[in-house]
Amino acid sequence: MRDVFIEIWESIRRNKLRTCLTGFAVSWGIFMLIVLLGAGNGLMNAFMTGSEDIATNTMQVGGGRTSKPYDGLKEGRRISLEDGDVSLTAGELFADHVDRVVSTVGTNVTVNYGKKHFAGYIEGNYPARQEMDKIEVRYGRFINEKDIRDSRKVVVLSENQAESLLGGGSRDSGARFATLSFDSKGQNKVDVTALLGQYVRIGAFSFRVVGITKSDRMSDSNLFYAPYSTVKVIYGKGKEIDDLTFTFHGLDSEADNEAFEDRYRAAVNLRHRAAPDDRRAIWIWNRFTQNLQMNKGRRILSTALWIIGLLTLLGGIVGVSNIMLITVKERTHEFGIRKAIGASPWGIMKLILAESVSITAFFGYVGMLLGMVACLVLDKTVGQSTVSVMDEQIAMLVNPTVGLDVAVGATVVLIVAGTFAGLFPARKAAQVRPIEALRAE
Amino acid sequence: MLIELKDVNKTYNNGQPLHVLKGIDLSIDRGEFVSIMGASGSGKSTLLNILGILDNYDTGEYYIDGRLIKGLSEKQAADYRNRLIGFIFQSFNLIGFKTAVENVELPLFYQGVGRAKRHQMSMEFLDRLGLADWAKHYPNEMSGGQKQRVAIARALITNPKIILADEPTGALDSKTSEEVMQLLSQLNREEGVTIIVVTHESGVANCTDKIVHIKDGIIGQIEDNREHRASMFGVNTIMK
Repeated sequence: MRDVFIEIWESIRRNKLRTCLTGFAVSWGIFMLIVLLGAGNGLMNAFMTGSEDIATNTMQVGGGRTSKPYDGLKEGRRISLEDGDVSLTAGELFADHVDRVVSTVGTNVTVNYGKKHFAGYIEGNYPARQEMDKIEVRYGRFINEKDIRDSRKVVVLSENQAESLLGGGSRDSGARFATLSFDSKGQNKVDVTALLGQYVRIGAFSFRVVGITKSDRMSDSNLFYAPYSTVKVIYGKGKEIDDLTFTFHGLDSEADNEAFEDRYRAAVNLRHRAAPDDRRAIWIWNRFTQNLQMNKGRRILSTALWIIGLLTLLGGIVGVSNIMLITVKERTHEFGIRKAIGASPWGIMKLILAESVSITAFFGYVGMLLGMVACLVLDKTVGQSTVSVMDEQIAMLVNPTVGLDVAVGATVVLIVAGTFAGLFPARKAAQVRPIEALRAE
Repeated sequence: MLIELKDVNKTYNNGQPLHVLKGIDLSIDRGEFVSIMGASGSGKSTLLNILGILDNYDTGEYYIDGRLIKGLSEKQAADYRNRLIGFIFQSFNLIGFKTAVENVELPLFYQGVGRAKRHQMSMEFLDRLGLADWAKHYPNEMSGGQKQRVAIARALITNPKIILADEPTGALDSKTSEEVMQLLSQLNREEGVTIIVVTHESGVANCTDKIVHIKDGIIGQIEDNREHRASMFGVNTIMK
């Protein structure tokens, strides 16, 4: 093997400029591929922020308006979910797929603490919700079973909310939290733990703050949590609930999910005397299929980027192939000599193939390295900046880099490409007939 | 017999069929020093290509040391060339970007001999031909005679059964030509190497022990030249 590399080195050394120019095209192709994939990843990551925190095997169901007349009732009727829907969901009918069902109930309230206040939405919830929505509690705790059982008056606020109550940031009354200022890392300036154990006033009642959750910049979280039983008692509207969420299992494909949704919708619709196929009477938000679609989109984007990158690379590959053809032409006489003194056709082919793969791999790696550096630069510049849309901070690119899988993939591509580039010239070299080559002087 | 050709025919089909070799019968024994003489177009180059397994023949039989050389795959032909035959060419055919010693090593490389062994053997051969000091030089730094001696070292290194020399003095002046021919005859005499020289120069042919005349694709006269009196000008010299 070492001999082959010495031969390649000798050959390349004689044609430095030409090899470098050709190699540049390969480097450029791989560079583009890596940067495109990195930027694509960054874009997708930015989209996925927020949604990645949520357990994917849940469905959320909410009330809607009927879109067709049924059972003697007119269309346009408002449907509200009720406790009965919860028992239906948790009942035997769907037991084969549904695991846990939690319902929420809530209302808009104003939260006061000393002279500070904010307008929020109190949502009565169950402890199980924490895991379903991957709610990250920074300080203190989430709602627990005891809170539910005793209907305790406790709340779990978000960092932003806590901060506004403690007086950090904007004093603008009634300000939404998205306008609160952050330092560059998005962390609060005020020590929010000071609020833990303190009482805040909501309407006529005092609630103790037991936990503080991480704020996420993406969603409009003026929402905070309290025990379901407490909110139901204070603000409940009879049997009505806001929405219900359940986790499920055994629905692995989009088709399975759709079939289940149809079955579920029909059952709930009938409880409310709506047409079983009325897709508007209740809303079903299936995070699993949504995630599937997101992944599909991600795959399509990445495939498109690979294709663009590979087409760019193709230019470089054709260049290598071209240069190898010229090399073969120039070295015809030499190959004739080699064959006369005992080189087999494969012995000649090996030289050309190895040279082609070496050029492609070497310059490809240079390109890959530069591409990764460019991705890091992208990460440190564009990746750190956010744009403000409707009082919300949205990151343009999140972690726009490529993983090891792409590096491995690109390596395979390079070796395959180098082989392809060398194949035709190598065959030509192997077919050199020694008599004709020796005559060519 | 080391070499046996029986009724070998060769026709080139480039547009008009050209019957170049019209039934060659030739036997050459081990240790012989033979020249094949003929005018251009006589078929001597074609015969040399067939002898050197560089070209195929149409009909007949060709044996080297009892092995039939016919219908070989390229790989096999390459292997036979490598092990059985050493080539010496008119234009030396050294590889320009390799040093003398690297050129001599090349046949061993294709035999799969290791680097160190290869190098050591090549140096030995160069030394025998008085070129040890020139081992690290490139061909374009050497004179014609030196180049041809490197080529001879390369031909000898695999210890082949036959040395095929195609106009070995064609590119050399008369003095160097004489030296090369003396070297060849010395190798023949002292080491018993079988040497076949193809030439159109009578002086060169005169250095050999047997002269095979070829004309229009047929072997003509086979002269016994152990007295080296074949050429009337060629006694002890090579006319240029």
